Amino acid sequence: MTRSFFLKHPSVLIFLALLALFTLGVTLMSEAFGPGLISTSFVKTLGKTLCLCLVAIAMDLVWGYTGILSLGHFAFFGLGGYMIGMWLMYARTEAIVTGALANAALPPTPQEISDAIATQIFGVVGGSEFPAVWAFADSLAIQLALVVLVPGLLALVFGWLAFRSRVTGVYLSILTQAMTLALALYLFQNDSGLRGNNGLSGLQNIPGAGDVPQSVISIRFFWASALALALGYLLASFVVSGKFGNVIRGIRDDEARVRFLGYSVEGYKLFVFTLTAVIAAIAGALYYPQAGIINPAEIAPIASIYLAVWVAIGGRGRLYGAVVGAGFVSLLSTWFTGGQAPDLNLGVYTVKWVDWWQVLLGVSFVMVTLFAPRGIGGLVDLVTGTRSPDRHGADLGPDAGALREKEAEE
Amino acid sequence: MSTLLEVSGVSVSFDGFRAINNLSFQIGPAELRAIIGPNGAGKTTFMDIVTGKTRPDEGRVLWGERSQSLLRMTESQIARAGIGRKFQRPTVFEDQTVFDNLAMALKKDRAPWSVLFYRQSAADRERVEELAGEIGLTGQLRRRAGELSHGQKQWLEIGMLLAQEPRLLLVDEPAAGMTLAEREHTTDILVEAARTRAVVVVEHDMEFVRRLGCKVTVLHEGSVLAEGSLDHVTRNKDVIDVYLGR
Repeated sequence: MTRSFFLKHPSVLIFLALLALFTLGVTLMSEAFGPGLISTSFVKTLGKTLCLCLVAIAMDLVWGYTGILSLGHFAFFGLGGYMIGMWLMYARTEAIVTGALANAALPPTPQEISDAIATQIFGVVGGSEFPAVWAFADSLAIQLALVVLVPGLLALVFGWLAFRSRVTGVYLSILTQAMTLALALYLFQNDSGLRGNNGLSGLQNIPGAGDVPQSVISIRFFWASALALALGYLLASFVVSGKFGNVIRGIRDDEARVRFLGYSVEGYKLFVFTLTAVIAAIAGALYYPQAGIINPAEIAPIASIYLAVWVAIGGRGRLYGAVVGAGFVSLLSTWFTGGQAPDLNLGVYTVKWVDWWQVLLGVSFVMVTLFAPRGIGGLVDLVTGTRSPDRHGADLGPDAGALREKEAEE
Repeated sequence: MSTLLEVSGVSVSFDGFRAINNLSFQIGPAELRAIIGPNGAGKTTFMDIVTGKTRPDEGRVLWGERSQSLLRMTESQIARAGIGRKFQRPTVFEDQTVFDNLAMALKKDRAPWSVLFYRQSAADRERVEELAGEIGLTGQLRRRAGELSHGQKQWLEIGMLLAQEPRLLLVDEPAAGMTLAEREHTTDILVEAARTRAVVVVEHDMEFVRRLGCKVTVLHEGSVLAEGSLDHVTRNKDVIDVYLGR
């Protein structure tokens, strides 16, 4: 990251400055560090929104820049959440159990403690033993590594199989939907070892921070999310700014041509797919401690479709567009579905936004796709006056007087 | 003279239709060759086979001094081995500048990791400017490729091929839709390129082929009908029957 990098890409610096201002503003208005103009629950909503912005950046990299319409990136997001959730749940239950057993006449053996934790966690699905996938749940370091490794490995294997067979376009989108659906269905089963449809809960209680009020914890997670978003934005703009960015945009526009230039298209796709899966996983690992609960419904196919909608509305192919789209639409969604939006009385029918919000979202997605393909981010172009040629347009045509192909043959 | 590319006994059929039928073809390391033939003679399929897009049903395609088989390599590996291809329709990256188009084609390490950390050197910039000079696009380097005229796009694509520093250039109908002046410029670029490497030009237009002044291979129904100078093949009775005499 040199000075010239920021000079060439001033939007990165502007974005980071705005993010820093936003973080500072929220902190000063929070309950923990200020007069409490912003409630703790809203701080959590904002923190979660920043995580969604981060996963939107990942989506923009893979779709907006590389042209792979992945409709499965929420699988990686959710897996990241599950990995950190396992440690959170284990460590907190361990603290409760040891607290309870401390009063027993005989000091408990490690086996007794372990059994007690397992009964606490898995009683809800009728189990009392730790499944194999919980082998490392007691180690924060290992679970943090798994946040990156498990989704990264899944993306690597899935991507290798799909790209090697040259699956592209809508078929790849369907395949990614199938992947996230299969994962969700698997996790819904009780014997998958992650508490089935109950999911993991109580994640907002951070082990070892029992006496820290939620108002402070929420602000700390908000900071962590802002930092992750800033780093993710820097990384993504580094990836797309140089020759690598030119190659992946080339793959988006004309895959075969890039191949005949000697670039291994499959290798590049796999690289971007795996990198974005890891970014999504990190976003998920920060999201779910703020949400407090994760269950398999979070990685249902619809979640990944929403992700694509956010990026499309924000403006794909530009990083700030993805952030704006995810932030704007998900906050709006919270407002509409939270019952805060006033009902619209049409006389014969009253529009209740809780029911109608999704219709509104769907309609605006169609509208943006049809009439403003550059999304909200396209407004910036209107201000700065830059216009790009329509890259799917026809050639400007031969120069005046050029021989037509028919004439050339004569 | 040694051979750079040797295609022998290659056949391929699509749904029972034999697009290429026992075709054999050779070209030396610094040679200009024109391939002519009526529509459906298998000219484009021939290029597809050499560049790895289509796998032949039988036959051999050998490359270079070590007679490496191209049949097991992917398109990108073949391109890295030194075979460049220009498509019939100009295909450049319209969203990117002329400079970026050329820079992407420059002969450099193409592995994702090294491309990610690639930084343009002064030598690279000079090379791009030099290439732009050769194809007559010096003044257009900062423009987006999508804004170029049809002829300029064709040249840009030839420039991208030259940037790859291929040992064999396959060029499909480079002069289609060009003005006379543009055609002459295109001829010059190709003749110049063939001084140091092999160039195969597929062309319909006899006048253009005559101006190239090189050996001609006539394809018909997927195999070689005649080979030699343009005057030689145009006197050939079979050639007159199937192609010129229509």
